[in-house]
Amino acid sequence: MHKPLLKYLALAIAVLCACVPVYWMLTISLKTQVDQFAVPPIWVFFSPTLEHFTDAFLNRSFGQYFVTSAIVASVSTLCALVIGTLAAYSLARFRLPYNLDNKLSLWILSTRMFPAIVTAVPLFLMMRDLRLLNTRLSLIVVYTAFNLPFVVWMMRGFFAELPRDLEEAALIDGDSRIGALFRIVLPLVAPGLAATAVFCLIVSWNEFLFALVLTQTDAAMTLPIGIAGQVTQYEIKWGVMSATGAVAIVPILVFALAVQKHLVRGLSLGAVKG
Amino acid sequence: MPIVFKNISKQFGNTSVVYDLSLTINDGEFVVLLGPSGCGKTTTLRMLAGLESVSSGDILINDERVNDIPTQHRDLAMVFQSYALYPHMTIAENIAYPLRVRKVDSRLREEKVKRVATLLEIESLLDRKPKQLSGGERQRVALARAIIREPRAYLMDEPLSNLDARLRVQMRGELKRLQHQLRTTTIYVTHDQAEAMTLAHRVAVMRKGKLQQFDTPMNIYDRPANRFVAEFVGSPSMNFIDGELSHGKLINQDLSIELNNSPVGPMTGSKLTLGIRPEHIQVRRTAEVGALPARVYVTELMGNETFVFLMVGENKLVARAPADFRADEEEPVWVSLDSTKLHFFDSEGTRVN
Repeated sequence: MHKPLLKYLALAIAVLCACVPVYWMLTISLKTQVDQFAVPPIWVFFSPTLEHFTDAFLNRSFGQYFVTSAIVASVSTLCALVIGTLAAYSLARFRLPYNLDNKLSLWILSTRMFPAIVTAVPLFLMMRDLRLLNTRLSLIVVYTAFNLPFVVWMMRGFFAELPRDLEEAALIDGDSRIGALFRIVLPLVAPGLAATAVFCLIVSWNEFLFALVLTQTDAAMTLPIGIAGQVTQYEIKWGVMSATGAVAIVPILVFALAVQKHLVRGLSLGAVKG
Repeated sequence: MPIVFKNISKQFGNTSVVYDLSLTINDGEFVVLLGPSGCGKTTTLRMLAGLESVSSGDILINDERVNDIPTQHRDLAMVFQSYALYPHMTIAENIAYPLRVRKVDSRLREEKVKRVATLLEIESLLDRKPKQLSGGERQRVALARAIIREPRAYLMDEPLSNLDARLRVQMRGELKRLQHQLRTTTIYVTHDQAEAMTLAHRVAVMRKGKLQQFDTPMNIYDRPANRFVAEFVGSPSMNFIDGELSHGKLINQDLSIELNNSPVGPMTGSKLTLGIRPEHIQVRRTAEVGALPARVYVTELMGNETFVFLMVGENKLVARAPADFRADEEEPVWVSLDSTKLHFFDSEGTRVN
């Protein structure tokens, strides 16, 4: 009797903690500047305005930042998934001499073992020499590289849990390795693939450091950089920041909802033998 | 198609799993690889399928060396112990898969699926997913997927071991009929001697990666090549009495058995093991000339017969008796061995008669 009550209470607190900042951001984006700083704060009843949205997306270049973010995040996620999944499959299924497959996996992971900022300056110099500064391509390359270890390790786990029999049966039935991968293996790890994709997308979408280092022009800037730019020497544009933030949530939310069914199964894939 | 294993060996690292195996399997033959777990029988099958590389030796299918031919081009069909049905496909899609990857046109595919499904009585399951099927039904689907095309041989890796006892016996019979109908070379791996005896034209008994005997079920049973085969095949197992050969008699501390007609190679004084199957021991409750005195250890009534476990001195024996045989524990009885059915093994365990 008490247990479900406690459970729902705990859940309610968690939901509240997660939602209040988002709610606050949404209200700020709709408030006039006066209402934004009202003391005590106005939680519900204020006269809404869309001036910050028009300011951000019509007067400033946030529309462009949004497009850049979307392109960079989706393309880099796609690249990381394709390369990482193939690598993970190889590492999960083929034994290399001298235990190289395990060493290779660990080496791939080691690229995430140091703080990202360590690579910021070298990457900046490399991109400068390649004349890729202020391009979307530079961000796509860096994000792909950054997400690869994650994809490899996640997918390697999913592949390892899949019984080998299925691929072997496919081979005996006359299919090629790659055919078995696409027709048998990938459909079965689709939930894992979806979960991995969501994480990659979130990381790329929200990435700040490399975007800051590698891009300075409106044409190549991503949303997080644009938002940070609203903290100026003279004022902090809370309205614009909140309006942009509200819009920035949407794509990830939509994608997560679209793959939600897979997401839950993916995160617990292998926990229960199906 | 005929299949030949020529001096096949397989090592995993430093462990030798299959050792110098040579087998010649005739076209259309049903061969069972029989042995306890870890004897290398499954590895042998997997090498034939190309799922495992061969360390040394050659495998020939229809006189063609296939060592370096990848699995998908060997044109074999296999039934896995786990059935390995594709969980995301319907039963019809599962069965049609070998045709789909061969780009057979979809109408012909459907037609063949229907025909195979009818043969195996699974027409009503075609739209379901493997998860919704019982073990026996999955087994049939796995079989259907194997027989939908005409492969050069069927490989079966303990296909019945996940079924319950009743279903296993039923499927065993169906498998046999199916093989006789299709007349396709079949290699079947099992640790169940009943499956080996009932299904095989010839049985290859393996132990620790080595072939022990390759012969018809009857010969395996009646003339086991060594003590291991003798012990492994038959239930209850063959009885063994260790002793020494002395002037036409087998002697140990408890007994002395006259070996009147049994031809024995070894010389007087050498160690010898006598083997006799339970059905060749007769148990009587009254003394008789030439019978050995024994005590009843325990009896097990099986319904149609009784297993009588006996102690002849320190030697444990088991005999088959009629169902109505009754004896109390520790009761004295007399046993006589059928002298024409004796097996003799030397100290290495090799058959010597």
